[in-house]
Amino acid sequence: MNADSRAVRSSSFSRIVNTAGVYGIALLFLVLGLLLQLTGAIGNFLSVQNMLNIVDAVALVGIVAVGMSFVTYSGHYADMSVPTTMGFTGYICIELLRYGFLPAILGALVVGLLIGLLNGFVIGKFKANPIIWTLAVNYVTLGIIRLVWVNKQIYPDLQGSGQAAVALFDSIYRLRFFHLIGLPLVILIILVVVGQFVLTRTSFGVKLKVTGSALRAAKFSGIDVERVILVSFVLAAFTATIAGLAVTSLSRVGAWYNGAGYDFKAVTAIVIGGMTLAGGRGSILGVLGGSLIIGILNNIMTLVGIGTFSQDMVRGAIFIIVVGINAVSLRSLGRDDA
Amino acid sequence: MKRATMILIALALVSLFAAPVFAQSANLKASLAIDTKVLKSADGQLLLAPSTDNRKVPARPASPDALPETNPLHWYDMEWAGWNVTPMNIPQSPADGAIGKKIIMIVHGDHPWTTACILGGKKVADLYKMSFKALSPNWDKDKQDQLIDQAINEKPDMILLIPLDAKGAVQQARKINQAGIPLHMFNTLPDAAALNYSLGWTGPDDFGQFRLLARAWADELQKKNPGSAPIGVAYVQHAPGGSPYFARSFGPISELATYAPRIKTLEKASPTPATFDANTTMQLVSDWLTKYGKDLKGICASDDSAQSLGIFQALEKAGRTDVVVVAAGNSKQGMDLVKDGKLFGITYQTAEGDGGLAVSYAADWFNGKKMPLRQNLAQHIITKADVAGFYPPQW
Amino acid sequence: MRKMEKSRLLAFSDKYRIYLLFVAVFAVMSLFAPRFFALQNMTSILNAIAMNATVAIGFTVVMICGQLDLSIGAVITFAGVLTMGLEPLLGFPGAIAVAIAGGAFVGLLNGLLVAKAKINSFIVTLGTMTILQGSIYQFSGGNSIGITTPQAFAISDFLGVSLIPLVTPRILIAILLVVAVELFLRRSRAGRNFYLVGGNKNTAWFAGINTDRYQIAAFVISGVTAAVGGICSVLVSTAATLKLGENSLMYVISATIIGGTAMSGGKGGVLRSVIAIFTLEMLYTGIILFGLGNEVKIFFAGLILAYVVLYEAYATYKHDKSLGQRPELMKEIKKRRTASGGA
Repeated sequence: MNADSRAVRSSSFSRIVNTAGVYGIALLFLVLGLLLQLTGAIGNFLSVQNMLNIVDAVALVGIVAVGMSFVTYSGHYADMSVPTTMGFTGYICIELLRYGFLPAILGALVVGLLIGLLNGFVIGKFKANPIIWTLAVNYVTLGIIRLVWVNKQIYPDLQGSGQAAVALFDSIYRLRFFHLIGLPLVILIILVVVGQFVLTRTSFGVKLKVTGSALRAAKFSGIDVERVILVSFVLAAFTATIAGLAVTSLSRVGAWYNGAGYDFKAVTAIVIGGMTLAGGRGSILGVLGGSLIIGILNNIMTLVGIGTFSQDMVRGAIFIIVVGINAVSLRSLGRDDA
Repeated sequence: MKRATMILIALALVSLFAAPVFAQSANLKASLAIDTKVLKSADGQLLLAPSTDNRKVPARPASPDALPETNPLHWYDMEWAGWNVTPMNIPQSPADGAIGKKIIMIVHGDHPWTTACILGGKKVADLYKMSFKALSPNWDKDKQDQLIDQAINEKPDMILLIPLDAKGAVQQARKINQAGIPLHMFNTLPDAAALNYSLGWTGPDDFGQFRLLARAWADELQKKNPGSAPIGVAYVQHAPGGSPYFARSFGPISELATYAPRIKTLEKASPTPATFDANTTMQLVSDWLTKYGKDLKGICASDDSAQSLGIFQALEKAGRTDVVVVAAGNSKQGMDLVKDGKLFGITYQTAEGDGGLAVSYAADWFNGKKMPLRQNLAQHIITKADVAGFYPPQW
Repeated sequence: MRKMEKSRLLAFSDKYRIYLLFVAVFAVMSLFAPRFFALQNMTSILNAIAMNATVAIGFTVVMICGQLDLSIGAVITFAGVLTMGLEPLLGFPGAIAVAIAGGAFVGLLNGLLVAKAKINSFIVTLGTMTILQGSIYQFSGGNSIGITTPQAFAISDFLGVSLIPLVTPRILIAILLVVAVELFLRRSRAGRNFYLVGGNKNTAWFAGINTDRYQIAAFVISGVTAAVGGICSVLVSTAATLKLGENSLMYVISATIIGGTAMSGGKGGVLRSVIAIFTLEMLYTGIILFGLGNEVKIFFAGLILAYVVLYEAYATYKHDKSLGQRPELMKEIKKRRTASGGA
């Protein structure tokens, strides 16, 4: 029983699934929505407004997922310090608003970068377990936030000349181009384009792939593995900072719970998007696709009227099914254990 | 000489025995003299504003569950909890004043709101020179049970508790009662059976506030939509299971069933998986707007911060300025939205007052005052007209 | 001579690190924290860790096999909700049996997906966690489920009564399970095979061990212990809240790592994880007794975990760096270099 015969037997379904990939699944859901609309079960599914709502809803998760996918691609699973990085950078930005909008943004970015550097250094150089280490950093950051700001939340609220900075901050989430496309969405698209380019067309992308597929081989072939891992965690922290500023801008408050849940949400999007947790396989476009699938699914379920609890069950089931099909199809095509 | 010494000794003995009694009544006198009306909360309002609600408690129907959900009396056991209890072994007040008493407050979780609540409690406790300690289980029921055990071990003069779970509160109250420690519950409503073991309950009257809010909301909706066509509204609910989940949706629904029957409930749901997340609420409301279009004319939210911000994001994207939105208050974001003319009205719910009233209740009990089983915080609906008076925000 | 003693001491403290930490924390807290060294306080701590200790048993077994089970928190809540929800229909014994079976079923599902479908355990258990959370809400309608009958109170009171000082029935159940599983893992052939499967799966397979079966068994054990933890908790609490197991995952992962069980599998122990939980809880209780807030607790929880992870990683780093080197010869080279003036 060799790989080839297995491949021949189960190839057609697996090959379709594999080439279609995540966008195939997304298309499937869109068709489902369209069918439901045509049969009158739901209305206005395929309207511009609804489509925009879908992407708006997943923009923040998408931003986080793009950065985190570099960590996943490098074979380091996920960055669990994202939630408190988001919260912490929000606090920093609001505190620094009194010095102006740009200094505040820069300050937040610097703090985020520092967290990324810390994670990347410890995991890259000492090979600490990424999940546990970033979890520990998450806790420590949470403790710091609550200690420094004494269990309070802070508001972007300045008098006089400071109001301009506050207004700019408020518009991070609320700015719309042509009254339609929000800033977070624009940022997401830019990040996806740049990220995909970096992953597929730069030498860093190649190094990342080798690191993710075979760490030892990467080292022996002269790749500075530690630098590669460092950069991937910095990227994850970078997008977490951007998303953190957006969430803080949306909720108009610096709170320690602002980023809650984004770690698992991002991993879900990444994995549904076809990136394997073991590393070395997947694409940023896939990550975007994964986020879109979640958005479309949520939208259809609410329009149909599926109760919110049932939605959770459906999401979990779809998650396992999509990942399972992906893994099984990869394996039956003889392409490694996902 | 002998006589003088005898008299002196007698006087000494008398004062020895009388001293505690005198001290007690000195304590009582001093603590009765303390006036809590001097205390203010961070927003400049009176910390302990008296309630102006003078509604009569209705008679309990034979079986409330049998009544339809749109009938206010269906919610009787939740709305009027505390008005009918069978006290079990409730300790008697020592009536020796509140000064120097030791109280432990166990809240439900960590949140800026509870930070403010504890602050309010501390303000009153400091005024009465009570020893005050606050513990938080951070939303974990198992942990709250453990904190109750720890508190019982410390043998305080009273435990003040925000029960994390309505049904589970019964066993918690039993345990404290069995340990012989006076218990007072506040903020979240426990199952009616739990109040049998408690001195009483204080807190916001969620149902009452939301009936008030519903009427103001209905008046505005009917003003904006003259005629007799039905007015469609939706409810963004609280975290499922707790009393606000029911009070802030079924309260208005059952009130409007008779007050403004034109108003029809199109949807009610709690954003999932994160109930108080602006992004998730925005998603939910956007989908509702897609589904119902112009038929959706009003939204009632269980939170005026994250939920309301999400609602207005959705409304602005859809270009809808005609929707009348009300919410439970009162956070800074909510008050800002009222000031900007977006939120029509929010309920005033003082966090500091909540903690403060609980401690004040304890102090009054230590003073030997006969306490009502239930005392509500003052009710008020904040609108654009008076929102300026509630800054700076308490939390 | 001195060097050998030093390295032996180091090896001893490495292996029994968690026990040393336990003694240290206990000593410090007893001496400095008010009211810590009191019977009621220690009993209260033991009661507090009963649930997480039980859950940690199964979680450690899964980690010994080199896998991760993220669904334990959801299983705790699931079992609790089933127990309270089905009690009116089946009575407590019936409801408890169904809840345990439910936990075992989830474990079986996890195990099959990991072992047979060969999907990464992080993903599988993330998925089952999400599905379970949805089912819990669906089953309970979003409400918590409480029982306020005299029978429920009697059970709750009984579980909390001190049979001997420090030991209540609730604590006793946890102790019995810990002892049973630890002895099983250390003393029986089947138990030791778990370590082999985790240490090097292929080698274990070549040695004739049915690795799939052991992995599935590990997840089933995890599901069952999580269920038992949840059941005991709701029986004491008389209510199943929907957020019950939420904090358990992080707490148990931290404790298992701190206790010396590695994510890579093949080493560690159930007793160590439980002692780690005990130690952490003593620390947290002490912090609260000092009058400090939850934020200090969270900060130290993260700091300790970070320290342990860093320590382990650094030790491996040092070890890997010196792989293949012979320290005595290295020293000679160094001596020669400095002698020749760094040429």
